[in-house]
Amino acid sequence: MTSLRRTRTVLLAGVLALASVLAAGCSSGGSSASNKTTGVTITVALPTAPPPQASLDAFTKSTGITVKWTNIDWDSLQTKIAAAATAKTYFADATDVDWSRVGQLSKLNWFYPMENYLDTKSLATQMPQISSFSPNGHVIGIPYDASFLVTTVNKTLFAKAGITTMPTTLDQYTADLRQLKSKGVVQYPLNIPFAAAEGLSTYWYQTTAAFGGTILDGSGKPQFTSPDSPGYKAAQWMVDAIKQGLVPPGNINVPDTQAQQTLMAKGTVASTFADYSGNVGSLYNVPASSSVVNQVTYLPTPGVSGAGPNMSNPDGIGIPRQAKYPAAAAKFIEWFTSAQNQADFAGANGPDKVMPGYFLPSQLAGVTQLNDKGKLIGGDELSDLLKNSAKPIFQQGAPSWYPQFSKAVYTNLHAAATNSMTVAAAIKAIASTANELSS
Amino acid sequence: MTVIGSGTRHSVGSARDAKPKQARRRGRRFDALPYALVLPLALFIVALALVPAAVTIVESFFRVQELNPPTVFDGLGNFRRLFSDSTITASMGNTALYVVIGVILSTVLGIVMAVTLQRPFRGRSILIAVLVLPWALPGVVEGIVWTGIWDSNTGLLNSVLSSLHLISNYHVFLGQNRLLTIFAVEMVQVWQMTPLSTLLILASLQNIPHELYEAAYLDGSSTWDAFRRVTLPLARPGIAIAMVQAIIATLNVFDQPYVLNGAAQTGASLTEQTYFVSFQNLDFGEGYALSLLITVATLIVSLGVVKLVYRPVEY
Repeated sequence: MTSLRRTRTVLLAGVLALASVLAAGCSSGGSSASNKTTGVTITVALPTAPPPQASLDAFTKSTGITVKWTNIDWDSLQTKIAAAATAKTYFADATDVDWSRVGQLSKLNWFYPMENYLDTKSLATQMPQISSFSPNGHVIGIPYDASFLVTTVNKTLFAKAGITTMPTTLDQYTADLRQLKSKGVVQYPLNIPFAAAEGLSTYWYQTTAAFGGTILDGSGKPQFTSPDSPGYKAAQWMVDAIKQGLVPPGNINVPDTQAQQTLMAKGTVASTFADYSGNVGSLYNVPASSSVVNQVTYLPTPGVSGAGPNMSNPDGIGIPRQAKYPAAAAKFIEWFTSAQNQADFAGANGPDKVMPGYFLPSQLAGVTQLNDKGKLIGGDELSDLLKNSAKPIFQQGAPSWYPQFSKAVYTNLHAAATNSMTVAAAIKAIASTANELSS
Repeated sequence: MTVIGSGTRHSVGSARDAKPKQARRRGRRFDALPYALVLPLALFIVALALVPAAVTIVESFFRVQELNPPTVFDGLGNFRRLFSDSTITASMGNTALYVVIGVILSTVLGIVMAVTLQRPFRGRSILIAVLVLPWALPGVVEGIVWTGIWDSNTGLLNSVLSSLHLISNYHVFLGQNRLLTIFAVEMVQVWQMTPLSTLLILASLQNIPHELYEAAYLDGSSTWDAFRRVTLPLARPGIAIAMVQAIIATLNVFDQPYVLNGAAQTGASLTEQTYFVSFQNLDFGEGYALSLLITVATLIVSLGVVKLVYRPVEY
């Protein structure tokens, strides 16, 4: 009897302890930040594979900071950032700051200003794209790679159509695409990803820049409503391209990366007007995934009367307000974005130091080192474009309502391409969204 | 019956020997163990289901916009804005089509497959195990797999149809035509849901006594008659449960349209819109309201189907 009572008492205590643990787990997850920079473990959450373990171990040895790397896909990561910040809950010490979310994140004050930890003014001289992360005077993220939109052409296919001089203007470019089609070199020469996704929006921004314009003015008002405006012309040019058979009809439902992998890398199309800046080296020249090795090259953006700008869409890293160890996270970011490490990650100093998927350093010194060692495919062109042509999509940084605006862009342009609405109606709907959100 | 019985016993008993029972009650010590054993689970359910549900209901009547604080009571404002948004109303239509196509197809296919599996045959167990595989796969994985089938430039279906000389040009299955897109997307979900429908209906069929079929055949019924007059009526509980799980799944479809068709109006579902409203626009008030609408719709449609299809069966 005594034994049974003891068992019951122990069981009761155990269950109540479990309940209190559960109750504690369900209570506030708030954290208090510590400025410790040694003997701590930080969590880094980015939508990319980590640097080599040896590099991370070297960082730990030199700083006493251990890095726990979490690779989460981009969409899920944005949801986690929003959910954690809204609930004021810790989830990572350093995480993704995408150029398109900068306005939103800045307005919500969800990230620490990086100038509190790093000399961002000095960094700006070496990182042209840092301006994409500094709305309202505060830098909330440091670009960890250089990404911008660039025109790529398959010069072998162009040559087969008798085109040996690459186009420098949009008119020449369009005429060349028609020549490729009429000579039967390829049935559909141009790749435009018309799926209702972000890739369609950025394609339009780049095409608008090539036509010599911008999307929004400083107060967020649309600059594309007039049929004579570059944005309107760009939308018309893109929709005409699919209707006139320059773009594969199936592209109506193909997102950007899929189109690059299944069409451009297979030689099914001859050009992508707004391609990713690293694709020649990381995709088109990789024999395992491409049948156009050494055939594709970068091209200065064909503009109205000469080379146009290239729109920047870099990936950044910042410190969320709920970070446990913001100072340690800042030390990691400084290390992660240093010119030497970026050159190592991009392959300047042997395959052991390569970070999978990493292609182009955000620091000019890293790009120079990579190019000098002959490890950057299309290096001269890319260096030049990064220094001189790469511009932020929105001069003042992406507005806080950018995700809503972008959704209006890609759903309406997609609808125009499917004939569900006219280009005029699509432009009107996009402009209406911008006006409503900016007022 | 139990309630009435115990009440009667209690009243009779209390009249007869009230004093000794009161004495026993006074002498009995409070036993906390049963409550303690239930406590962790109760806490778990309250914290992870009831509290979020209550918050959703309450907050759906507030304007909760992260970019436009503070949070203020807004009455039916969120609901009014949702119903005046053409993208949301279009998604309501899309979701209704997902429900109709998905519930009908998964139920019909589930019945056919369950009847096929009703009688023992060699390899039946293996077939059932294989059948469950699509149900076990995550929706995102299924979406990616089916992208390779539906893709209009390089997809398997176009390739097969072209090889058989049934088409001269590749067809665009997704994104161009609304009905075709919704049908193609929902086919992927039907592929995922049908195994569970089959198992639920099969469980009902396994309970049907064989004597009922023998009696039906002795009375001159054909196989079709036996199916109509014995199998279908007695499988109704299983069919109703299968339909309810299909309603819940189709009203909340997200992975398949998101992976296969992005945010295009030709196929965007209500749960996709909930995601966009909540986590892109950071308008949690509208997100709560939309979630509440989906929950209420799920309850109403499910209750309707249960009322229409479910009949208790006793052998």
